Amino acid sequence: MAHPPPPLGRVVATELKPSTPHQFHFWTARDTPIGIGAIVRVEEGGRVVYGVVTDGFAYSDLVTPMHAVIGADGDPVAAGAEPSVRPEIRLFTAAVLRQIPEEPLQPVPLGPVWLASDADVVLALRMDAYTGGERPTGVPVGLYAAGGLESPVYLDCDFLLGPEAAHLNITGVSGLATKTSAVEFLLGSIFQTFPRHKGTVAALCFNVKGPDLCFLDRAAVLTDEDRRQYARLGLRPEPFGDVRYYAPFKADGVNLNTLRTNDALAANTQALVWGLREVLDYAEVVLNRDDVDAKADAFIDFLADRVVGRDYQDDMLRGRPFQVQSFADLEEFFRAIFDFMEALGKGGEVWKTHHLATIRKVRNRLSNISTRSKGLVTDDGVAQDLPWGAFADRSVHVVDVAGLDPLAQDLVFARVVSKLREHLERRDLGVDHVVVFVDELNKYAPADGAETYVRKMLLDLSERGRYLGLVLFSAQQFRSQVQRRVVGNAGTGVFGRMDMDELATPSYATLSPATKIKLATLPKGELMLRHPHFTQPIFVRFPRPAVLGSREGMDRFPPAPDLPFADAVARQLRALDRRAGTDAVRALVEGRREDDVRRALAATRRERPDDALAFFRACLGRRVGAEVVTSRRPIPAMRRGDDQDYGF
Amino acid sequence: MEEACIRQARLVEDAELAWHPVARPEAWPDPLAFLDGVQRSELVAYAGAAPLVVAQVAAAVRERRDRRLATVLEARRTLLLGRPEAIAAAGDLPSGLDTVALPTDEPPHPVRDLVNAARALDRARGALELTLGDRYRSRSDGWLLIDGALSDSPVWAADRRMIAVSKSHATLPFDGSDLERFLRLPMSHRTSIYAPQTRSLAPVRQWALRLWPWEGKDVFHGLVRVEVAPENATPELADMFSRRLLAERAPISTPDHRWDRLVYGIHSVERYLRAAAGSLA
Repeated sequence: MAHPPPPLGRVVATELKPSTPHQFHFWTARDTPIGIGAIVRVEEGGRVVYGVVTDGFAYSDLVTPMHAVIGADGDPVAAGAEPSVRPEIRLFTAAVLRQIPEEPLQPVPLGPVWLASDADVVLALRMDAYTGGERPTGVPVGLYAAGGLESPVYLDCDFLLGPEAAHLNITGVSGLATKTSAVEFLLGSIFQTFPRHKGTVAALCFNVKGPDLCFLDRAAVLTDEDRRQYARLGLRPEPFGDVRYYAPFKADGVNLNTLRTNDALAANTQALVWGLREVLDYAEVVLNRDDVDAKADAFIDFLADRVVGRDYQDDMLRGRPFQVQSFADLEEFFRAIFDFMEALGKGGEVWKTHHLATIRKVRNRLSNISTRSKGLVTDDGVAQDLPWGAFADRSVHVVDVAGLDPLAQDLVFARVVSKLREHLERRDLGVDHVVVFVDELNKYAPADGAETYVRKMLLDLSERGRYLGLVLFSAQQFRSQVQRRVVGNAGTGVFGRMDMDELATPSYATLSPATKIKLATLPKGELMLRHPHFTQPIFVRFPRPAVLGSREGMDRFPPAPDLPFADAVARQLRALDRRAGTDAVRALVEGRREDDVRRALAATRRERPDDALAFFRACLGRRVGAEVVTSRRPIPAMRRGDDQDYGF
Repeated sequence: MEEACIRQARLVEDAELAWHPVARPEAWPDPLAFLDGVQRSELVAYAGAAPLVVAQVAAAVRERRDRRLATVLEARRTLLLGRPEAIAAAGDLPSGLDTVALPTDEPPHPVRDLVNAARALDRARGALELTLGDRYRSRSDGWLLIDGALSDSPVWAADRRMIAVSKSHATLPFDGSDLERFLRLPMSHRTSIYAPQTRSLAPVRQWALRLWPWEGKDVFHGLVRVEVAPENATPELADMFSRRLLAERAPISTPDHRWDRLVYGIHSVERYLRAAAGSLA
């Protein structure tokens, strides 16, 4: 039978440093394995106390530094050669994680201190409440390691994905593979361990910079140590099995605006294109930044309710009804109003109670959207969207907005999250829970600055999303620069390596100086966790995500260069039907108007026919032959002398 | 408290008491052990006019290897000191409490009995130190540095691997101009070797060594007496021991007020014994 390990320390309490119900101090041998963040157990007199080390002190019996100087005759070299080394103390401060029994709550007894075992970690972090029983809800988040011991740490999915606290926020400096890697790993863990009895789950990630999330469906090359950690956590090191990418086009309307353009990745990368209806429903997203007032809102409501997508008849404007489906149609409608009012002359300043200036303002703002969001917003009214209502369990949907104008990014955030919310409210999204991952939260929900629709939407999501199963996983470099209520509503907090300036802000005042130093020097793959079940922050390490990182991904799957118009069309068609040859497509496209080609391509993508090329050809229609314009004989000018016959 | 007196010593080096510079400090080779003892007492009761004193004596050897000190031997005794009739009046005693009977040749006198108790306690501590020193020697032939004197034990007085350092100067070895020369010994100098006049039969040799400059302070500041077996009392060995002891000045034994004469290893033993005594009380 194995002997129980000997204690590593002993609780000490003095009048100046007493034990309390929430904190205690203990000393250890000089070469102790205990460090900041270690979980320890104190056992004495039937009471067991678990604590996490938050600070450490070392000192010798030297009364004053001056005595060291005197003893060495002022020579630092001699000081190092003193025949006897002064005894040193290793004194640690620990914050109480849990006491058993919990009542009566008493100061920590002066007992021996052990390093926490696996079983201790489970109890210390109250994981026994949700990792055992018939319906466990634990999700592995990483490994707590100290003194050669290594224990899995679990989050409670009730508190991660709701209906309890929900939401997660990650803070950490950029470039250390903390934020994105942590989310990739955690999503993988959720997908593998989210209990069936809790329903279904999917993730929607906004890729806001570079190729960060572009290779979630590709396996990473893992080290043996990574694989060992996966095994210790009970997880399979595998990439996501069901990932779909959505990216708008570039301004040319045929090349995708994403770094995921390598042919090998084309199968599950599709275009994200919205028409007038999709934009108009969220017009306030892009209009609230400027001076759009209630009058403009009223006119936009009028357009949305009465004009767009309907037959709008106004005999004063023209004899036949307007059928506004696209920005081009809308422009035609506006033109008709302006022509009508110009024809009225004086007094023609109000049309259907809307002032001409208001109408012009709304027209300008809406055209601005189609201009700045070219590639996302189509003029022809044919939209390609996310599969609303058909989200599959354990599917990941990545919307790549990295190359979009900020205005267009806001539009994408607002519409996608609002659609998620609508569908979850109606319970017809296809899954019960959706994790929405937003990086660079300080950009979209800043602590300062004007109130924007996106910030309001993120706040609403963080405050009420959990009731719907809509969960926000957010990340930023500086937590202090994010709207406090958004991060405050995150039940789970994850902290990677931090900047010391950031740690000096009031948000981190509860952390000990030693914890701050540890945070400022955290290596890759280590995190500090806050979770509602943990009464103190806990440090864990996690293996490298099983998905390809951005750098390796870019090496293995370099983006395809932007192609000429015809070749880009051919590539899009080939993604639908591999038989579509470039030469054949070139021949079809040659001489056609690009708008016609884009329209035909959009229709083909929407329908996804078996024979894409034939369908595309049919959509293009019959080629109109070039008309030879013959010159006509000009009408001869009147001779000047002719006028004189009239006596002028 | 030791009675102040002069016991004239006999010079065995130099015709007249001289000062010898000791050159640079030199590290003592491993292992070096330090032996010391502590005592404390408390008057707990009177049986009639006779006091009863409970005391603890403790001694330890801390050995230094690779510059680190560790306790290798220790012993403790808890004592009840009093006149036999006072001890009897105390009734059943807790186990582990040894009794020490004070002399009864004079009638009880509380002050005199307390003085006698203090002497008995000194002897008990000394005996414990002797026991521990012997035990250390039986297990190691390493150097043993003792706080006090070797002359209390003929065995120690002849041990060439023992050296004693005395901080106390109640008994001085010279008088007149020699005493003045003795007390004005400069820093990093030793005196001529002399044979002290001791009450015990064990012959030893001594010299004085100035560890810290005394100018501007007391003449005893930094002044210690070094005691060795007669076979170690050559000028060369006296210089070597002095150099090694000079090296032991650091680390300084603060906050002990005797830091100028207290070798850190001895200080470490005392502190260890006093710290551990708390849990034994």
